[in-house]
This record gives sequence, structure tokens and C-alpha cells, in this order.
Amino acid sequence: MAEVTLSNVRKSYGAVDIIHGVDLEIRDGEFVVLVGPSGCGKSTLLRMVAGLETITGGDIRIGGRVVNDLDPKDRDIAMVFQNYALYPHMTVATNMGFSLEHRGTSKAQIAERVKWAADILGLTHLLDRYPRQLSGGQRQRVAMGRAIVRDPQVFLFDEPLSNLDAKLRVVMRGEIKSLHQKLKTTTVYVTHDQVEAMTMADKIVVLNGGRVEQIGAPLDLYDRPANQFVAGFIGSPSMNFLNGTITAEGFAAPGIVLPLPETAHQWRDRKAVYGIRPEHFTLDDNGVPAEIILVEPMGSETQVTMKLGETQVTGVFRERVRLSPGETIRARPDLANIHLFAADGGQRLN
Amino acid sequence: MKAELSPRMKTALYGLMCVLLIPFVFPTWWMVTSSVKPISDIFAFPPQFIPQHYDWTTYSKVFELQPFVQQYWNSAYIAAAVTIGTMVISSMAGYAFARIRFPFANTIFMIVLLGLLIPSEVTIVPLFQMFLKAGMVNTHWPLILVPIFGAPSVFATFVMRQFFVTLPNELEEAARVDGLGRFKIFHKIALPLAKPALASVAIFTFLHSWNLFLEPIVFLSSADKFTLPQALTQYTDAYGGPMWNIQLAAATLTALPVLIVFIIAQKQFVEGLAHTGLKG
Amino acid sequence: MAVAQDHATPEGRSSSPFWTIARRDSLAGFLFIAPQLIGIITFVLIPLGLVFWYSLHEWNVLANTFTYTGAQNYQMLMEDTNLLEVLGATAIFSAGLVVLNMSLALLLAVLLNQKLAGITIFRTLFFSPVVVSLVAWTIVWGFLLQKNGGINGVLLLVGIEGPNWLREETTAMISVIVVQVFKNVGLNMILFLAALQGVPNELYEAARIDGAPRFKQFRRITLPLISPTILLTSIITIVGSLQVFAQIAVLTQGGPGMSTTVLVYYLYQQAFQFHLFGYGSTLSIVLFVIVAVLTFAQWQMRKRIVFYES
Repeated sequence: MAEVTLSNVRKSYGAVDIIHGVDLEIRDGEFVVLVGPSGCGKSTLLRMVAGLETITGGDIRIGGRVVNDLDPKDRDIAMVFQNYALYPHMTVATNMGFSLEHRGTSKAQIAERVKWAADILGLTHLLDRYPRQLSGGQRQRVAMGRAIVRDPQVFLFDEPLSNLDAKLRVVMRGEIKSLHQKLKTTTVYVTHDQVEAMTMADKIVVLNGGRVEQIGAPLDLYDRPANQFVAGFIGSPSMNFLNGTITAEGFAAPGIVLPLPETAHQWRDRKAVYGIRPEHFTLDDNGVPAEIILVEPMGSETQVTMKLGETQVTGVFRERVRLSPGETIRARPDLANIHLFAADGGQRLN
Repeated sequence: MKAELSPRMKTALYGLMCVLLIPFVFPTWWMVTSSVKPISDIFAFPPQFIPQHYDWTTYSKVFELQPFVQQYWNSAYIAAAVTIGTMVISSMAGYAFARIRFPFANTIFMIVLLGLLIPSEVTIVPLFQMFLKAGMVNTHWPLILVPIFGAPSVFATFVMRQFFVTLPNELEEAARVDGLGRFKIFHKIALPLAKPALASVAIFTFLHSWNLFLEPIVFLSSADKFTLPQALTQYTDAYGGPMWNIQLAAATLTALPVLIVFIIAQKQFVEGLAHTGLKG
Repeated sequence: MAVAQDHATPEGRSSSPFWTIARRDSLAGFLFIAPQLIGIITFVLIPLGLVFWYSLHEWNVLANTFTYTGAQNYQMLMEDTNLLEVLGATAIFSAGLVVLNMSLALLLAVLLNQKLAGITIFRTLFFSPVVVSLVAWTIVWGFLLQKNGGINGVLLLVGIEGPNWLREETTAMISVIVVQVFKNVGLNMILFLAALQGVPNELYEAARIDGAPRFKQFRRITLPLISPTILLTSIITIVGSLQVFAQIAVLTQGGPGMSTTVLVYYLYQQAFQFHLFGYGSTLSIVLFVIVAVLTFAQWQMRKRIVFYES
């Protein structure tokens, strides 16, 4: 068990900077998810913590100890890889016990640890099989078993669920989460899937272009995104953005004026971006007119693509909408959930 | 191409292949059958595709005229040493070139590949002088050292490198996290997975050494040092003409064991050779 | 757990030990390639340098003299009336071998790629000469090719009087080429077969839907897709053909006349039978240049003829 600290961590390949000075505190026992679009540097950052990538500048501490130049094996971490990285020529049991073999653990102890991990993960009946004889979900479990057998200070997960089908992904998501609640080991988890991030994390780190955009609890990120990037990245379907100006009458977007909360008047005459999540529209006769482009009934809710003035937006309604493209509905933005961002730079205003 | 063939087409293809097989299979049959024919039947007309009279003394003469057992042993142990040595050296070098980042790796790889352009036939004169100075002429050292370090092992290194390049990175990273250093990763992870490539390297290398002819006749001068290819040409009469049936008996003894091993393990042989880095 | 001491440098970077991960890996890399590299230097590159050095000397083994003669051996090369014949024989042998070997290998591979029962038995038999000892194979063929040998015996059965294959110039050259082709064509055949099997079946299905006839499928899909293998095997085959020695030594001893004296055999005669080590070295340089030029040329051709590389 240990905390992980990154201070001003940088990485560059020649003249190209991949990671631009990342600071991050991960508390003991915390489940932290690094999330961001592909190429944002999240995997690189994780691999730097693991010791699989060298660091160009800054310090990484695990349990208070600077590990910058330590080999992965000396960092007391365990890692679950995207493609599982199970040794094809070893049985499940050997795969799981392999790391202990190189740490001077006795055979009996290895067997005991492997049995313990297999019990937790429901792998006991598969111990003598080879990886090629396992299904995707079983391989995923073995990969996790290999990590927990060692009882390391930190677990590192590198997009571990991206090779599973949608249904299994939901199941494994739950299993990883409950495993963490059982073992309480500090965990750093990388994913590009914001749903995984939201559902699993104690703390989410949103990365973009090698920089931290925002760090916070999942719902904080959802409720108060620090900038337009985070606002657009977190939440599904993603937040709608309208460009325009803040005026006395409301938010003047092309072809429409949208209502604003009282507090917004302090930024009057400023060019800004109006952000509203699809679920924060309500069907209301007093709402603004919206021309329907596409109606997608999901059963529990209805997703409607519509035009607010000249801007196309998405709305999600609890009610069933039985209208056809071309017709007009009235949708009311929920004033308490309006996000305003600066037109230049995208920082949050309100 | 993989569409079902009509029965007539199938018959035609079988017929064509059977005809094409004759020059591949008949010589071996002719060698084995002629080796037990008495000398008078060897050139009999019409040709005897199945021997009419048997003369088994040819086989005892093989051993009487030459130290054939010793020569057999020479060939076998030289080929074994070359094969093992090449597997060790080429798998290590191939692994490093494929997976380890170190300064000048590309330059060194180009230098090593130069070895492919320089078959030992080119360097046979200075090699002879070098081994002469080292007192190793008429020993087996040249036949062991030159292939282990020369063009054949460069080829093996190339094959091994092509294989190791395809190993997923994640496997090695997992091994590093699991606490293995470079050498252990090579030994415990990479090498066990490289068995198919190693097998084809072993086959290539063994056959190359087994067939070596120029080097033995340049370096070896006494009959008890000879290797099999060289020994086979020594069964001649007083006028230098070949003693055909005895020569064929020795040839049969040389060829048959490898042929039998091949037929038993033909799947591994053929697929091992096909599925290495040589594939496009 | 131990907490390592943390000396921060002005950049805020903790001081690192000399043996960083990258440095340790570099060391491992050098250790792994060291045996090969040292071996190549000792048994290939130094001898190559020596060959060149020797070629500038006259070396009399009997008198044990080693005199610098500059370009005299190369002068001798130019004036050597045999050399043209030797190079001609080498060219005919190599060209004949490569053309025959590659086309037969491709034909066999295509045949073996058909859906036929028992095809692996054919594959095994076509491949079998590869594992037969080279000299044993050559001796049998030498036996078959005698004036009163098996081949002429069979020919006589159908009323043809065959030539004395190994004693007439044209037939001797044909013989050594053919013997070598049947010995080793199985290797290229297997490599081609693997390449053919690597062509995705969907491409043929697509071509059939497009209405391309079989021959066109072969020319427009198969050949381009296996062209990397064709190039690689042709390099290996041509370099191999220049090294041919045992077959010549056993079958024809370079004869009749000089008609089958290829470069390696000539080199062997000059250096080890006539003890002209200096001139033999000069011939080695010729061999090296030919191998290098051919390999380089074929590598350059890759850009033009190889349509696809994985």
C-alpha cells in the first residue's frame, strides 16, 4: 500500500514533448483513472510509473521513494496489460506464480498465493490450462490474478477491457471495482472510455495533449468541468456547445437567444460558449423552439437531434417523443445546469 | 485457386505430379537398389529396377576400405557442434537486434549482414592460412568455427531476428514487471516461444554442415579425419575409377538415416522451414 | 520499506545512478551480439581484408616467398585466357540454375497448393532430395549419367541411344545444372508454397466475382503478392549457385575441357592444386565482387518489381 506522487513529470522523444510537466497526487488506496483521447499521453504516463518508459524530467515517487531510475521489478508494482500479455508457453498457474519465482518465494508459498488469487477470481478450475485455451474474459481474469498474487504496492491497468465485448466489459468493470474494494490497493487505471472512468474512479485525471486538463471526483467533473475540453469529454452523449455572445436578453447564438442564469450578467457583451448537456433539456411549452432532425427512441429515453437556431444539438428526454423530422418542439434548458466557457481558451466562466 | 476441382482435372494433376516426381524419387531408389547389386549387374541392360541378385558384401567393404565408422562420427559430431553453436549465437544476436535498443545497433547489424555477401568460398585462401598458422589444419576446428561464425550463422541470425521482431512487446514488459532481467527474459520467455524458428535454424545448419565439401577437402588430409562427403569420393579402384556398388552402399548409409528422420518428422521439417522470417 | 535518498538537482530532477535502465540495456545488447560480431570480424571481415592483401602479392609456397607485386595479379587476371571461359561457364550455370529452379519451384508450389487428397505425401517426396546428403545425391546422378548408366539404359529401352552425358560439353553443363536443381528446388518450393498460402482467399473470391479467369488471377493477384518471396529466394538461389563446388568436383572435375569449370572450382584449382595463393585470392575478389553486385542489383530491383511488402 502506498501513495504515488508525480511532480513535474516530463517526457520527450528528441525535440517532441509527449508529456508536459504533470503533477499528480494519488493517495494510498485510491482508485485513480487516467482518461483522455488517444494520443493524449495517458498510457505513456502509466508506463512511466511502471518503469517501462524512461522519464525525461521530474520525479516519480512510490511510497515516498523516488523511483525514476529503478527497474520495474524494483518498484513493487503490478501491471495488467491491454492484450493481457500472458506467457503462451506457461499454464495459468505458472503464469500467475511466475513473478514470485523470481523473488525467492518458496514453492509452497507460491502455490498458496496462486490458490488464494484463483479463489478470488474464480479461476481455480482453470489453473492447469494454457492461455490459448481460455476465453477473453478468462484471460483477463488471469492477467488480474497475476497482478494480485504479488500483493504489490500499486496496481497499474493499461486499458484492460478494450479487447472485450460490450457485455463482458460491464461485468469485468464491476469485478475490478469490487476487487479494489476488497484489496484496497492503490490503483492507476488508464482508459479512453469515459464511462469506465466515471463508474470506477475515486478520482479522474483528464489528460489532453500531454497535459492535465482537470483532476477531480467523477461527479465533480460532470457537474463542474473546468474547461470546454473536459465538458465535452465527460458525459455521454456529450455536451452541446453553442457559440455566441452574452447579452441582456440572454445568450445570443446564431438564429436564437437562449436563457441564462442571473449570475451570467457579469460577463455581459462577452463572446462565450454556451454548454448544455443533452439530459438538461426539458419538454416545455415555454421553452425555445427546436426543429427536429432525427428521433432515436431507446426505450427508457428518447434521443432527439434538433436545431437550436442554426446549431445542431442533441437532447435526451424521459418522455417518448412521437414527432417526425421537420416538426418543431419546444425545449427548455435547465438554468441550473448551464455551463459557460470563454470563447478563447475554453476556460469555465461560471 | 481454392475452388473445387473437377474429377478430370484432379486426375490430370495427379498424373502430372507423378511424372514430375520421377527425378526426385528415382535416384534414391536407384542408389539403394544398386548398392546391393553385384558389380556385374550394376550396368546391366535392360536396367534392373529391382535387383535380381543380391551382394551384401558391398556393405562390409564400405567399412573395410575406409575408417567409415570414424568418418561417420566425425560428420555427426561436427554437424551437432555447429548446429548447437549456431543456435546459441544466432538466437542471442537475433534477439538483441530485434528487441534491445543499443547504440550503433543498425550499423552493427549491417556489418553482420555483410557476412551474407561473403561466403566462405571467397575467404577460403586466408582462412586456410590462418588455420595453418594456428596449427589447426587437419583438425576439425575449421569445419566447426567457420560455419558457426560465418555466412550460415549470419543467415540464422537473420531468421531469428525476423522471428523475435514479431513477439508482442507486452510479453517482455510483463516479464520486466514480473522481475526478470534481460537475460532471463531471453531465456525464459523469448527462447521458449522461438522453438519453431530455432527448429528451422537447426535443420538448415545441420544440413549445411552435413553437406560441407570444399572445406573438408581443403583442410583435411588424413582418412580418419575425413567427413562423410569426402569419404564417399574415396571408394575408388587402383586406376581412380569409382567402385560403384561400394560407393553407392556408402552413399546409402550416409543418406538414409537423415531421410528416415525427415520422413518421420516431415511436418516439423517442412513447416519449420516455411514459417520463419523467410516468408515475404 | 526503504526510502531512497533524494538529492534534487537544480532542475528538480533527482540525481540518477550511472547504470540507468537504458545503459544497462545497452550493455546487455552488446553482450548478446558480441559472439557474433567478434566471430564475423575474425572469420569473415579479417579474412576478406587478407584476401585483398594477398591478391597484391605473389606467393610461392614451395620457395616460401611472399613478394609485393602490386596489381600484377590483376594484370594476370586480364590476360588469363581461361578466365573468360570460366566466367562464361559460371554465368551459364547460374542463369540456368536460377531460371530452372525458380520456375520449377513455382510450378510445384502451385500444384501443391491445390485441394487434393494426399497432397502432403507429394510435398514430402518433392522435398526429400533436400535432406539427402549432397555428395550422395551427386554420386547417384553421376552413376545414372554414365554412358552405360541408368538413364541411357531407359532411353535404349525406347530405342534412343543417349549421349555420354558427362563427357560432352553441352550435356555436361546441362547435367550439373539439372542435378543441382532437383537437389534443392524443394526449398524454394516450400517457401513459395508458404507464400501462396499466405494470400488471403477473399482476394480470389473477389476476383472470381469480378470475373477474372484463373490465369489472370495468378498473374494479377498471386504473383504480385508473393513477389517479396520471389525476390528473396532468387537472391538466395543466385548466391548459392555461385558457391557450387561439390557437384562439379564429383561429376565433371570442371570438364570436359573447361566447359564446367565455374569460378569457385577454378579458384580451388589455382589456390590449392597449383598453390597459386596470390592469384587464387585475386579470383576470390572477383567472386566477392560478383556476389556483391548481384545482391545489390536484386535489392535495388525490389523497388520496381515488389508490389507489396508486409
